[in-house]
Amino acid sequence: MRGSPQCQDVAEAIEREGLSPLPETVREHLPSCVACQGFVADLDSIVTAARQFPTEVEPPARVWISLRAQLAAEGLLREEGLATEATRGGRWWQKGWGHGFSGLLQGRALATAAVGLLIFAAGVAQLRHNSSITPPQPIVKEQPQELDPLADSGAALRTQEHELRSAQPAGTLSSSPVDDSLQKDLQTLDAFIAECEYHLKANPHDQLAREYLAGAYQQKAELLAEMMDRGRSVN
Amino acid sequence: MSLRLVGRNVLPVLGAGIFLWPAAPVQAGPQHFEKHFTVKGRPVVVIQNIGNGRIEVKSWRNPEVVLTGTQASDKINIESEQAGDRIGVSSSLIDASAQPAEMQADFELTVPEETELQLKTQTGLILVEQVMGDMTLESVAGDVHLKEVSGYIIVTTKSGSLVCTQCAGKLNFNSISGSAQLLQPQLSNVNLFTTSGNILFDGDFVRTGLYTMKSGKGLVEVRFSTNDSFDLNAQTSTGTVDNQAADFLKPDSHGLKHFASKYTKGFIATVGQGLAKVELSSYSGTIRILKRD
Repeated sequence: MRGSPQCQDVAEAIEREGLSPLPETVREHLPSCVACQGFVADLDSIVTAARQFPTEVEPPARVWISLRAQLAAEGLLREEGLATEATRGGRWWQKGWGHGFSGLLQGRALATAAVGLLIFAAGVAQLRHNSSITPPQPIVKEQPQELDPLADSGAALRTQEHELRSAQPAGTLSSSPVDDSLQKDLQTLDAFIAECEYHLKANPHDQLAREYLAGAYQQKAELLAEMMDRGRSVN
Repeated sequence: MSLRLVGRNVLPVLGAGIFLWPAAPVQAGPQHFEKHFTVKGRPVVVIQNIGNGRIEVKSWRNPEVVLTGTQASDKINIESEQAGDRIGVSSSLIDASAQPAEMQADFELTVPEETELQLKTQTGLILVEQVMGDMTLESVAGDVHLKEVSGYIIVTTKSGSLVCTQCAGKLNFNSISGSAQLLQPQLSNVNLFTTSGNILFDGDFVRTGLYTMKSGKGLVEVRFSTNDSFDLNAQTSTGTVDNQAADFLKPDSHGLKHFASKYTKGFIATVGQGLAKVELSSYSGTIRILKRD
């Protein structure tokens, strides 16, 4: 029965017009065909299950910061627009990832922007690769001063740290040896970050220093996430 | 007479009472647990310890995973599950008023030699010996000691240090203030990053191996033998390079002659045929290169 022209019509009609409401030809055929009844029931189950999936998967904030920091450290991220968007990112710490970050990259735009960013990075990387195998071109002119996305990552982290501290009443930040240890690590990172930032002001093209700063930002993002998780699990 | 009678009948009871009295509050004290899981192939064991405590893993030749341990109080709950060859163990807080000492849970695992591990704890040592398989080990302040393990090993700590003795395979270590010591390694791929900890590599470089060791502020020390064969790139932004093996290093024979950046100092050199690649860097710390005796 499934192989008959009528069954073929059912599949085509559903593909063309959808399941809800059922196309006329399908409604006429279904009562006499058990196979197509099962086929439609299966499709219905799949659609119902698919509707229960979240519309987007939201990565943790630290993934975005890490990605930005890494791209910035490697000189792959220099778009003024993106840097400006990141500056607004302070709010997404306030509202929490789910609401705030969607302000930066709302809904499906998150996936689009992330993919676009990766494509952009890959493109620049490809250009760099190509340029590395062609004769070096003379540098004609120094690029004008641009907003540094790496600095924006630092600003976003400072905002997150501020939010973390204001969310916890004074005196509760250190309540166990683990909390003490995390606080100490935060101080270590902050001192190192300050040292790198100071150095980069005088030597903005020191690639090694940028890599270390990016690594420290990434660690700080993970550290703050850990501290937030502990705060939630305790409170 | 009556006193003697009293002594004969009452004293044993009192004595027993005194003997048993300290045992009364034991229910709230340390509790021991033990579980056995029969497995068929290569098991995957996951331990998520939200509290503090030590995780010790050793191997045997039996197709069975044995979990034993102690929990400090009944304010945390230890749960375990088995789904085929996957075994999961987790601790959870059931009383938010628990003090750190009451959140302690120590685990001892005995696993088949070929086992994959995913272990997480807050403080306390993670010790793994003679296990072959990929492993992800995570700790906040606890140290990680690995001995005779192989596989793709990922170690992440905040301040805990790593000591890896006779490890093989691939190693990825990331820490804020923890140090890493690699002793007699047989690792073909090493990636170490610590912001303020020290790094020590004391052993042979596998030919065709890739080694990257970075410390922001700490000491990066490499001890090699004259039988080794590797290209070396050592650079620092504001730190120092202490090359104590200059007599055994020759100019790089594979094309790299100088740094791409004018902002860093250091050198590029080759030992032997330069088959492995070793990259050492430190932002403001010291890079030390030594030849082993």
